[in-house]
Amino acid sequence: MNLNADNSLNSSGREIGQSGQEIDRASTGEDTLRLIASLAAPQGLEERVRVALRIAPRRGRVLAWPLALRTDAAWVRATAAAAIVMVVAGGGWGVYSHIQPWQAVKNPAIPAKVGSVGGFSNADAKRVPQTLQPPVLSAPPKAAGQHQLPKKAHKKGAVPVAQTLTATPAAK
Amino acid sequence: MMSTSQAICAGWMDFEDTAPADAVRQQADEAALAALVDQYAGALYRVAFSVLRNASDAEDAVQEAFLRVLRHRDQLDEVRDHRVWLIRIVWNIVLDRKRRSKTRPETDDVAELARVLPSKGLSAEQVASAAQHHAQVLACVEQLPEKEREVLMLSAFDELSSVEIATVLGITESSVRSRLFRARNLMAGMLNHTRGKTKELEPSCATAKTAAAAEEEGQ
Repeated sequence: MNLNADNSLNSSGREIGQSGQEIDRASTGEDTLRLIASLAAPQGLEERVRVALRIAPRRGRVLAWPLALRTDAAWVRATAAAAIVMVVAGGGWGVYSHIQPWQAVKNPAIPAKVGSVGGFSNADAKRVPQTLQPPVLSAPPKAAGQHQLPKKAHKKGAVPVAQTLTATPAAK
Repeated sequence: MMSTSQAICAGWMDFEDTAPADAVRQQADEAALAALVDQYAGALYRVAFSVLRNASDAEDAVQEAFLRVLRHRDQLDEVRDHRVWLIRIVWNIVLDRKRRSKTRPETDDVAELARVLPSKGLSAEQVASAAQHHAQVLACVEQLPEKEREVLMLSAFDELSSVEIATVLGITESSVRSRLFRARNLMAGMLNHTRGKTKELEPSCATAKTAAAAEEEGQ
């Protein structure tokens, strides 16, 4: 069944190689390959293939386009696709504009700096230099005998303390 | 008068108008596919069997090839030569399957061949001798470098020209011819060596393979 005149193999069992010398097919084992290649297909192969094609799952379609939209009205498809894109984008923009997550972080709180190597902070303690003298309060001037009670004040007939305090300036 | 949107909605909802057109188109596709099956299933089977050497595997490969065609039936009109296109599809399928089933023992192939090869009018001794010869040849074919082996196997099909072999393999025609020449020389060397030392079949094939690889590197 040599349908092909271009094939360099002839039917006599010998062939002409590139160098022009004849090569016996048997010596190259091509007789075996040709024997295998010429084996007949099993009976009923075509019918079995046809049955397999019939029961094969068809390509599923999510949306069946009407025939009018399939052929001529490409602009309708484009319009529909644009409308879908606008609805999706509009919805997304609505959600996006309502949430605005960046407002909360306009003035971000800066965490306290951890200074020491060991991970402990100074707990906001400030070092006060010791170069300043603390204020010293001067003692109030003592009135003469103001707080010195006479030893015999508790004695019978003595002047009370309050009377003594009030009478003392007047006496001055 | 109906507006455009109304017309679209009416068309959208009215599936009964489009369904017959779909059915007609699907029937046309199926008829074209059935014609391809009738015309080329046998050739595809032989191509598949020459690589897989197993009848059921070859039939599965043919079915898979036509299922792929069914999936891409939209491109069917763009194909110039359906025969070469189909052979290319089945060739890729069988090579893929062959790679995946590398672990299968070759004795299965030889037994399958002995079963299917014609033995009418031959004595039992002749059948055994022929089976041994075929086994030797196939063992040497397996030892060929991949590129040479593919060209040699496809060249065994009379209906495939060197141009078509080049199309199936995706190479140039001159590459086909040079690879075929190399493959034949290698096979002749291996088989001569094998006939001289029948018991040392494997080492001789391995040596020839190494020589072929060196020759290819040299080019």
